[in-house]
Order: sequence, then C-alpha cells, then structure tokens
Amino acid sequence: MKTTTQASVLALAAASALTAGPAAAWTLEEAAAPYAGTEIEVLFLDRPGYAAAIEMLPEFEAATGITVNYTTVPYENALGEQVRDFVAGGDLDIALIDLVWIGNFAENGWIVPIETFTSDPALADPDLDMADFFPLVVDAFGSWNGVTYGLPFDNYSGLLFYNRCMLEEAGFTEPPATWQEVMDTYGPALTKDGRYAFALQSKRNETQSADSFARFLWPFGGSFLNAEFRSNLNSPESQAGLQFRQDLMAFMPEGIVAYDHAEVVNALAQGDVAFITEWSAFYSTLKDPETSTIVDCLGVAPEPEGPAGRKPALGGFSLAVASQADEAEQAAAWLFIQWVTSKANAGRYLELGGVPARQSAYADPALAERFTFIPALVESWQEGVPEFRPRFAEWPTITEIVQEYGTRMMLGEVTVEEGARAIGERMEAVLEEAGYYDGRKPLAQ
Amino acid sequence: MQTRVSRLTLLAFLGPAVAALLAVGIVPLLYAAWKSLHDFNLTRLAQQRFVGLDNYAAVLTDASFWAALGRTALLFGIAVPVQVALGLLIALTLHRPGLSAFKALTRLSLVLPMATTYAVVGLLAQVMLNQKYGVVNQMLGWIGIDAINFIGDPTNAFVAVVLWDIWQWTPFVALILLAGLSTVPPEIEEAARLETKSDRAILRHVQLPYLVPSLVAILILRTADTLKLFDMPFTMTRGGPGSATEFIAILIERTGNRQFDIGLAAAQSILMLALTILLARLYIRVFYREV
Repeated sequence: MKTTTQASVLALAAASALTAGPAAAWTLEEAAAPYAGTEIEVLFLDRPGYAAAIEMLPEFEAATGITVNYTTVPYENALGEQVRDFVAGGDLDIALIDLVWIGNFAENGWIVPIETFTSDPALADPDLDMADFFPLVVDAFGSWNGVTYGLPFDNYSGLLFYNRCMLEEAGFTEPPATWQEVMDTYGPALTKDGRYAFALQSKRNETQSADSFARFLWPFGGSFLNAEFRSNLNSPESQAGLQFRQDLMAFMPEGIVAYDHAEVVNALAQGDVAFITEWSAFYSTLKDPETSTIVDCLGVAPEPEGPAGRKPALGGFSLAVASQADEAEQAAAWLFIQWVTSKANAGRYLELGGVPARQSAYADPALAERFTFIPALVESWQEGVPEFRPRFAEWPTITEIVQEYGTRMMLGEVTVEEGARAIGERMEAVLEEAGYYDGRKPLAQ
Repeated sequence: MQTRVSRLTLLAFLGPAVAALLAVGIVPLLYAAWKSLHDFNLTRLAQQRFVGLDNYAAVLTDASFWAALGRTALLFGIAVPVQVALGLLIALTLHRPGLSAFKALTRLSLVLPMATTYAVVGLLAQVMLNQKYGVVNQMLGWIGIDAINFIGDPTNAFVAVVLWDIWQWTPFVALILLAGLSTVPPEIEEAARLETKSDRAILRHVQLPYLVPSLVAILILRTADTLKLFDMPFTMTRGGPGSATEFIAILIERTGNRQFDIGLAAAQSILMLALTILLARLYIRVFYREV
C-alpha cells in the first residue's frame, strides 16, 4: 500500500507540474470568489498546531470571504464528536483525522479523495506540490488503501527531549542513542535523589496504546499483527520489547501508569526526569519560560534505537473534506485545507508553533538553528512505520483492549506473556468478526 | 361541593408532562431496548442487523462486565454505610436544640459538596491528590507522612474514589435524614425523653421508625447514583490505573462512545436498568417489613 500511495503522490506532483503553465494565473482570491460567504465547520484541538492555524485564519478569511468556524475539543472527544456528526449528517465540512482514524473514515465514505479537487483546475493550487510533503507523512496520515484523502496537518514524530544539564551533571555528553544504553547506563546513573532517568506516558487511554505499548514493539522488531493478520504480540521480538518496557519501569517515577502527556512534559520541564519520548508538538511548551524551567538545558534528539532500528512513534493528523458537505462547502473546505497546509504558509505555521509536514520548510539552516527539534524530526520522518498503530476501522475497539491489558501488564496484574496473549485473542476476535479472515475485507492496516 | 373537571382540562394539564416524559424518557428507552437487539456499531452501519439476544449473551459472559459490576458493588458496600453513619451523626447533631446560627451555616455548607458538578469534583481530586504537587500530599508531609501515590496505584485509586464519594454524598444523606427527623412529632419525642435519658433508646424506638422512609429513599437514590457514577471517576482516573476504578457506567460509556458499539452498550444499560428496578423493589419490601 505504501508503494501505491507514494506512486499516487508522485503522479499528483507530476500532474501539478504539467498543469503549472496554464494555471499560472491561479490565485486563492479568484478561486474562492464563487464561495465568498460560505461558512465551513471544523473541529480543532487545544494544541499548539491549532493555535497557530487559528492565528493564521483571519488572513484566509480576508482573502476569500469564507468563514471558518472551529470548535475546540479535547483529543479524547474528537473521534466521538466526528463519528456522531458524520453518522447523523451533521455540520462538519472538514474531517480532522488522526493517523488511526483514516481507515474508519475512508471505509465509511465520510471523506472525499483529494483527487476530486486536485483534478479541478479552478480549485487546485498549481503550487500544491504533493511531493514536498514528507512521503511517509502523506502515506501514514492522509492515505488509505492507495487513495489520498487528507493533507497532513499538525503531524508529530516521537522525539527524545532531554535535560542536557542533568545529563552533563551525571557525566554524559550525549543523549542515549539506543534503548539498551538507557537500560544499562543512563537509567542507573540518572535515577537517584528523588529524580528519575525517564518518564513514559502510559495512562489508560490512547496514550497507553500509542505512546507506551507500540513504542516498545517496533524498535524491537515486533508488531501488532503478522502478515496473515494474526496477533504477533507473542512473537519473541514483541515479547522482548514489552518485557523491556516492563524492566525500564525501574527508572521511571512511581505511578507512571497515571502519567499522560501533560504529566511527563511537566516532569521534564520541572527537572524531575532526565528525558522523555514525546511528540514534536511539545517543543514549544518545553521551550516556553512560562511553562518550563529547563529552557536553556533543553536538548532534542531522535528517539533511541532498538535492535530493529529507530522506528519512532508516529502521530498526528490530516485534514480532509467531509463528504456530507454540500458542493460549495466542499470547495471552500478544500481551499482552506490546501491553504493552511501549503508550502507558502509552512514557514509561518512553524514560526507560530505548528509543525508542518513540508520538506521545504525545514531546508533553511537558520530555522533548524532556531527550532532545535528540526534535525531530529526530519531524521525521524525518514524511517517511520505508517502502521505504527493499525489504521483500520477496527482500531477504536482494539485500542481499548490494548489500553486495558497494557496498563495491567505494567501494574504487574498480568505477566507480559499473559497480557499479550489476552490482547491477541481479543484482537483476533474483533478482526474475525470484521471479516479479515474470510476474505470479506482486504488485509490493509 | 363537588367540582367536575372536564376531560379536556385534565388532558391540557397532564398532556404536556406526559408528552415530555414520552419524548425524553420512554421513547429513548424503547429505542435503546430495540437497538440492544441489533449489531449496531456506528463505524460499520452497513453491517447493521438483528441479532436477537446475542448482545445480552455477550454482556453476561463478559468478564469485564462482571468485574466492573463487582467493583461498583464494592464501592456501594463501603461508601453508603459510611455515608449513612456519618449522615445520621450530622443529622442528630443538627436536630438538637440551640446554636441556631451555627446550624444554619452548617446546613448551607452541607449543600456545597453535592452542588459541585461531578466532573469538577473529579478534576479537583486529580489535582489535589497529585503525588508530587497535590495539596493533600503536601499536608501529609507536614505531619511526617511520605507522599502517597493516590492515582497511580490501583488500590489507592479505588480508595480515593470511595473517599471522594463519601465526601460528596454524606451531606445529601445528612439533609435527608434531618428532614426525616423533623417528621417525628415533638410530643412523642418529649414523652420519650421523660421516660429515658438514653439517646440510643430514643433513636432506636422513636426516631428510627420515622427515618425508615428516608433511609429507603437514600438507598434507592444512592444505588441509582452509584450505578450511574461516571463523571467523577472518569475525570479523576479515567477508570484506571488498569481497571481499578472502571465502574459499570465507565464501562458502558467506553463501549458506546469509544468503541461505538451502541447495540452492546444498550444491552449493558438495559441490564443495569433492570438491576436498579429490582434493587429498589427489594429495598421497599425488605426494609418496610423489618422495622
């Protein structure tokens, strides 16, 4: 599927290049003129990337006459709000799609392929340049089964944020390069005097599945499913990774299963832990003197490597046009999505605290110097796994199983092997009911 | 003088209330009951089909359901007796003569915990019980007790929810019992006080019989409240760590709103409704007979 999607991205890029001549006079103002006065509805999250987009909104509205009405919701509510809206034929004109929701939204026909708009010269910006997006990001966040639906927006890679001063005090000049180093060297040296080497956000919600459980599968060669879509969680590689996570808890604060993003970011920001693996989006929080005491000590590196490579956590969103919107709203929604994720706006979006997925935005060495997370992010986006968490429609059910047994594993209520088996059995039951084993559904994740 | 009320007048007065009850209570309930007989998942509506009692069979054979129900029963079994004991103590204190200004202030302050939004109570707990920065651990530190991991430890998290529930609902129990005490005819109480100086004897033989309806009301309301307890533990622990505070309402919300399995969640809810009705009938039969 990855190859197909990359091919479609290249084809789109080529199409854009070919049409560049006749469409040279294309302007946003002219394209939007028929839709002036249209109002479009979208859900946003309370995160820096959305605050950046909100700050940019007046420019778009002034240029187009289109009004973008956004409602800010907590991440945990975003899927439910949208599913109910789409099922009920509600007001949303744009879908905000997390990496793991794309299969669900696409299979239910709630979103429109971008080809509908990129093939319309009146709506397609000749500078759309799909090839400028990191291919991994378009593939993972915006595409399903070889079709691209969404343009990447507010994308993250897992990064290692560390307290350089704390590491130097303990005699380290570099952050850990491998998980084994964390276990053997950094963990014991940095866990003392009420401070800890590492904090892994593991609360029982999507954080447990995405940030904790999956993070220790892939770098160790494990995965959720094997090629036949059977559970791979009891394979030696998956077991090694999950057992590693268990052992690593010796160097984490007590009660780590109650830590969500806010708690680990705060623990690092207050100097209580030496490093965390968190989404790139938290850079602005850790760099802000109002929320962080380690602004001058903050270092950023790619996540440590495991025996199977780095394979960092992959998270974030894409924006897609909702199929329930009428024709004018769809066009207006596309113009907004195209504009907010455009190459031309990527630099400004970055300056305002967002993380664009445009390769060109990171080419400027001056920017990399100002935003020290950039080199690590660019490196991470070279070798991620799109199916870091399976993206099919059944994920909302499966993630609940992973969350329950993942935390019970960490608490020692079940062994790693028992927990993995319990997740595997329940996961296979869900997949069987969905029709993956009798050929009713393709083995796409 | 006998007044005749026309059917039309009756209908005009009762009709809107009955229509509202039908619209917001009965129709959704019947719809939920109907949907509980279907495979009805919002993310695969195309596969929607009638499955008879399959959802009920799935619920009744699901270990998570029974575990959540057991946890809810344990919460009820610990919290409600404590609430009744403390509530009775408060009610009897407030029922004694004198100190009227102080009692008025106490009555007012009793309303505050139950007037606070459940979700806010949970969020407050999350902040106050934080192991490192929470005010509770700060205060424990003043008397030499090491910080307790309230939210991250399964047992502590459960205990914290129980304590929070007791804090929030003891005043409610106290006020209901105080209202019950005010129904004791003063002449009977005065006569009893002439016979004995034992407060316990007066409570047992004079006041308690008048408190039975209040106690039954408390049991019914607290049972229903506990079975639907959601906001406070959800904002406080989200049902965790692990499943330590996954009460039945949190399980149902997870099934319906996070897995989008509306059919299964509806079956769980209908079973809970049946259990609530059954317990309410049981309380009335048992307690009215015994006293």
